[in-house]
Amino acid sequence: MIAGETRLPRPIRIAVLAVGAIAMLYVLLAPLTSLDAAQSAGLPLLTDRLWFRIATTVAMFVVTASGWNIIGGLTGYASFGNIAFFGLGAYTVGVLVANQHWPFPLALLGAPVIAAAFGLIVGLALLRLRGHYFAVATLGVGVAVGEVVNNVPSLGASTGLFLPIVRSDLLFFYLMLGAALIAVLTTWVILRTRFGYGLLAIRENEEAAAVIGVNTTFYKVAAFCVAAALTGLAGGIFAQWNSFVNQENVFAVSDNVQIILMAVVGGAGTVLGPVAGAVVLELIIQTLAGGGTSSVYSQVGLGVLLMICVIFIPRGVIDFFGGRSRLSLGYLRQTLRETSA
Amino acid sequence: MSQFTQQVILGLLLGGIYVAVALGFSLVWGVLNIVNLAHGALVIVGSYLTWALFTRFHIDPFLSLPIDAGALFVLGYLLQRGVINHIIRAPLLFTFLLTFGLNLVLVSLLLLIFTADFRSVTPSYSGAGLHLAGVTIPYIRLAGLLVALVMAGILWAILNRTRVGAGILAVGADRDAAQLVGIDLRHLYAITFAVGAAFAGVAGGIISTFQSITPTAGDPYTLQAFAVVILGGLGRVSATVAGGLLFGLIEVLGQSLPGLGSGYANAIAFVVLVLVLVVRPRGLLGRLA
Amino acid sequence: MRGKRIAPILAGLGLLLTACGTANNGGSTATSSGAPIVFGAAVSLTGAQSKEGGLTKQGYDLWLDWINQKGGIVIGNVKHPVQIKYEDDQSEANLSATLVQKLITDEKAQFILGPYGSAATATDAIVAEKNSIPMVEANGAAQAIFNKGYKYTFGVLSPANKYLTGVIDMAATLSPKPTTLAMLAANDNFSVEVAKAVEDYAPSKGIQVVFSKQYPAAAPDVSGLVSQAKATNPDIVMNSGHLAEAIAINKAAKQLGLNAKIFAYSVGPSTPDFISALGPDANYVYDGSQWTPQVKYTPSFYLSVADYVKAYEQKYSSSEPPDYHVAESTAACLAFQKAIETAGSLDPGKVRDALASLDVMTFFGQIKFDSRGINIYKPMVVEQIQNGTHYTVFPASVANGKPQYPTPPWSSR
Repeated sequence: MIAGETRLPRPIRIAVLAVGAIAMLYVLLAPLTSLDAAQSAGLPLLTDRLWFRIATTVAMFVVTASGWNIIGGLTGYASFGNIAFFGLGAYTVGVLVANQHWPFPLALLGAPVIAAAFGLIVGLALLRLRGHYFAVATLGVGVAVGEVVNNVPSLGASTGLFLPIVRSDLLFFYLMLGAALIAVLTTWVILRTRFGYGLLAIRENEEAAAVIGVNTTFYKVAAFCVAAALTGLAGGIFAQWNSFVNQENVFAVSDNVQIILMAVVGGAGTVLGPVAGAVVLELIIQTLAGGGTSSVYSQVGLGVLLMICVIFIPRGVIDFFGGRSRLSLGYLRQTLRETSA
Repeated sequence: MSQFTQQVILGLLLGGIYVAVALGFSLVWGVLNIVNLAHGALVIVGSYLTWALFTRFHIDPFLSLPIDAGALFVLGYLLQRGVINHIIRAPLLFTFLLTFGLNLVLVSLLLLIFTADFRSVTPSYSGAGLHLAGVTIPYIRLAGLLVALVMAGILWAILNRTRVGAGILAVGADRDAAQLVGIDLRHLYAITFAVGAAFAGVAGGIISTFQSITPTAGDPYTLQAFAVVILGGLGRVSATVAGGLLFGLIEVLGQSLPGLGSGYANAIAFVVLVLVLVVRPRGLLGRLA
Repeated sequence: MRGKRIAPILAGLGLLLTACGTANNGGSTATSSGAPIVFGAAVSLTGAQSKEGGLTKQGYDLWLDWINQKGGIVIGNVKHPVQIKYEDDQSEANLSATLVQKLITDEKAQFILGPYGSAATATDAIVAEKNSIPMVEANGAAQAIFNKGYKYTFGVLSPANKYLTGVIDMAATLSPKPTTLAMLAANDNFSVEVAKAVEDYAPSKGIQVVFSKQYPAAAPDVSGLVSQAKATNPDIVMNSGHLAEAIAINKAAKQLGLNAKIFAYSVGPSTPDFISALGPDANYVYDGSQWTPQVKYTPSFYLSVADYVKAYEQKYSSSEPPDYHVAESTAACLAFQKAIETAGSLDPGKVRDALASLDVMTFFGQIKFDSRGINIYKPMVVEQIQNGTHYTVFPASVANGKPQYPTPPWSSR
């Protein structure tokens, strides 16, 4: 148990666990009803192609948001350039599969490795910056990598890389889900080790952490590499799933911000926060996006919703599930008072 | 050699635009610790305003600049007072996210009001330029640079020679102490943001004469404002001027580097940015922040 | 023999007699109304390409009105009214893919009409392929999409490599013949293909490429490149990019005093926004166009060129004729219509095969797809803006004006 965590009363805890378990079971087993074998055995079709697409996208954001959470939420170094790792992971798989004709599983192993290696270099260079300087430096890296890749002929330049189409929604869903589980588990494990306590200490007061013997440079860079590896893994899976990789769809600045938003709106610094954020936000975005020709109004609505979330629920949605807070007028007034002029 | 001189001049002229765009951004970031992702949208609002005045009332774009300033001052004041003030004491990350939402709202509203049609302001003198020694200096861009420098001067004067400015600097230095001496924080925050928005509006007015205006045209300018602030540094007007001019030079000269394809211009600019941060985080002239 | 034929004829007559007698113009024999055919289209209604996406939608809607006024697409003896369900992909390729899937799964779209832009088209083509649903697109000309062996995507427009080569053909006929060319290209997949095609083709017509550089697609300013181009003294200045860059380059050319005998831009000059944004500075500019209102094709079905222009001007209360983005989008719908009618079925596989063997003349030109799925059979035409109006100037068979050549220097305009 993490210090400061309060426990919900027992019946509510059981109810929440039950709901969570049922949801998990559905997510894990329902897709199997889409198999031909299952269909002929008479199982009802519980999921369709669109469900797969959206669910895979949500899982992808769980991975990237959790990755961001490790460096931004736990360590307190808000990186604005994690998209660089996603893109590098995607391009690794893209180049290996499309140009070098490696089999996909082998190429996928390369994605987190390359991303983490890049994270190591960038981390060593940038993690001595603080606050907004670190943020902007990572933003610069994120933009720069995308721009460079768009010009290098062997990486496809502006045409992009086309991978052979793999027609299995099931495969990519389970892969992405697996990656999401790895990401959440990693965060959970980290928070239960000295490493995790070290990161939290760095977040709260880096000088004090150094004084009590935390090797801040090592810890920070390690956290950054873990974040990079997770994000790169998601990118690698995405590359084959999408069968097409270019600057526009794997180095998108809008995805960059979305990752951070999900982690924060869900609850930065917690294990399940990024999960909640990814699920909630992606579902809202998908619902609003399907507005047909009135999409402009949905975007205004989304913008307003985001602003409200940032102003009134800065600790994230997950705050209401830890027993610490309850969504009430008093809560809203309190958060407002904490951050208002 | 005159080709190189031409490129340098074009770089400086472009830098002038960047200075104009970044002045407001830098003020808001340096004093209020707000990274305003909606800055580009405010610039484009200014552009649309100048365009509307030009096409409806035939007001010369440079004459419409004060109107842009006034209108955006009011808009900025309302935005800060009504919305942004509520997260002013939250960590930097939250201002980033809030202004992202704000940008989404502003751009969508612009799309609703002005549609996606491309607009542009083309006054009669738009082609004329100074031609000397094999080098061309378009008047309209020269005017843009001059206006930017004047804007910088005005900002400096506001900050260092007026009471309001002193208040702004005080708030930026130590907000609790400023409150202790009786400064109304909420009002002053709003004034600061309003000034920043006003400068953004003027920049937009200048830009309308050589770029086409669409609702999403502002996003690249926000990114460039980032770059200028990093290169030059926070805390001083001269820092923004230096950063803007330098960034303009880098962008233009980056397009003429032999060997490397000119498509790398953006990549070069941002790599330079990262290097500056690694080597000298406070930028060329910034105060240690 | 006779006996075998009478039954279907009697059946047909029976249908005729028992049908509710839906009104239709022309001597059509089908009178019963079938289930609606649903098309799905994810277009950019917001975001950076909202203008072009809007033009695409206009093209689709023009056909939609016409086909429904006729009762729908005819299969056998049944008319099926048409529905087009739209989604806004916000100019984001990834969202476009998800929305196409949503159109197929949730909104039961049986066929997909393409998005705007080569990036979104590339991504959507993959979704269409995975779902085995035919997609006909009209706004993504990058050949890379069609070199991947996708079976379910078809493009009615001429591919990217033909965009500006027509201007070179025209230049070769003018005198004094221009001999040097400067090429500026945005570095996105479409623009780069256009530029490369020009660079490969120009020398064969005796035109030397003296300058060729790319700029980042969202470049803030192109004056540096324009100035570099000026130093090489080109006779022809070409830009391969989209509307915003075309406007920016033209403005920069004027401001920096870059005078060329020919200014030709891909995409941009054909849209009314180009003229309204630049005013008199837009004159003399050429562009390679997929279609102009002056082409002289005799269609085998749907409206004639003149009627199409009239229909557009009426529906959208426009004093300007439609630009080619609208026309090519309508052409995509026509391809589907003909293919469905030929296949006589809504089965995706059969329609796909019908598309692959389609060969039909329409107001847009010949629609026929090569083995990769792109329409290489329709020529591009060259337009020039003269006194604020578009004139088709090449090839001579469809021209309604002569090129105003050479372009006078900026100072004397």
